Amino acid sequence: MADPARIKTESNSEQSLAAGESPKTEDTEEVPVTSADTESKDTSSQSIIHENKQDSVAEDEGTAGHPASKKLKVEPEKKKDRRQKVDEDEIQKMQVLVSSFSEEQLNRYEMYRRSAFPKAAIKRLIQSITGSSVSQNVVIAMSGISKVFAGEIVEEALDVCEKWGDMPPLQPKHMREAEEQRADPQYKAQEHSLPLSHTCLADYRRTEPSWDVFHLSDSGNLHTTLSCSFSLF
Amino acid sequence: MAEEEDEAGFDDDMDDGAGGADGNHGKRKRLFSKELRCMMYGFGDDQNPYTESVDILEDLVIEFVTEMTHKAMSIGRQGRVQVEDIVFLIRKDPRKFARVKDLLTMNEELKRARKAFDEANYGS
Repeated sequence: MADPARIKTESNSEQSLAAGESPKTEDTEEVPVTSADTESKDTSSQSIIHENKQDSVAEDEGTAGHPASKKLKVEPEKKKDRRQKVDEDEIQKMQVLVSSFSEEQLNRYEMYRRSAFPKAAIKRLIQSITGSSVSQNVVIAMSGISKVFAGEIVEEALDVCEKWGDMPPLQPKHMREAEEQRADPQYKAQEHSLPLSHTCLADYRRTEPSWDVFHLSDSGNLHTTLSCSFSLF
Repeated sequence: MAEEEDEAGFDDDMDDGAGGADGNHGKRKRLFSKELRCMMYGFGDDQNPYTESVDILEDLVIEFVTEMTHKAMSIGRQGRVQVEDIVFLIRKDPRKFARVKDLLTMNEELKRARKAFDEANYGS
């Protein structure tokens, strides 16, 4: 459901924040007591959204008396109760988890929840492109998905960093590699930390190799025709 | 040795097609530096991320927003960006789709709560 975020500390890594966490968006500064109310309402409306595909039965609490509508009324309510219970379980599990965080994990979690793009800047950016004004909901939606996008890039870059045996903080090469992997999932480049031999050409792997033209120059060096050319010696 | 220089060259070749090499964005003032730093720490990076990494991420985000906006302008009502267009564009990405649904739902809830609160105040 909502953003699964990986919080990387020295040894731990956890996953999958519950959907119930979404009440604490940029706008809210409420104490958990008040957000509990909105959370239960949120889950009910969420259950409606998520049941869009399966049963398109709307909640018609206004209709009286017919056995058919009564039966239809019971089923979504049962599902809603089950969904609410599942969400409440998730909320409880989250509370247990957060209560057992170390200081550093708490800091990181707080930064994760509270950081957001400034709405004014996003609005200005969108309006400079469209040339006309945009509604507030558009700005909210765009800021939200931009944050998810940034999170995906950072997580991917952390994976790349770990795979290459480096340590955080992230370096530009990790970010670029993450972006490339996002654009082309089949592409995997590996860092050349060993002296190049002819077998290293296989490191640049694609599903179908689009380059298979090698020429041996007079000196015996092997050159590729890729834009990133390197010589073997 | 093929290392960062080659990677940078390779990236620029690829990025040019995407319409916005780093050179253009280098002239723009940094819009999100502070917020992006906090965000990167929250997502798992070090507490003090490198400035270059933050810059690259900012460029990526701005490119993402720009692309989304352009696409949204071309579908639905032409020349305007509406929420329905954004939701349509990210329908294939489950994370982003769920996030937008959550955010918009919560926004409605908050508006309703604030309105009820104000009306209660006004009544009393």
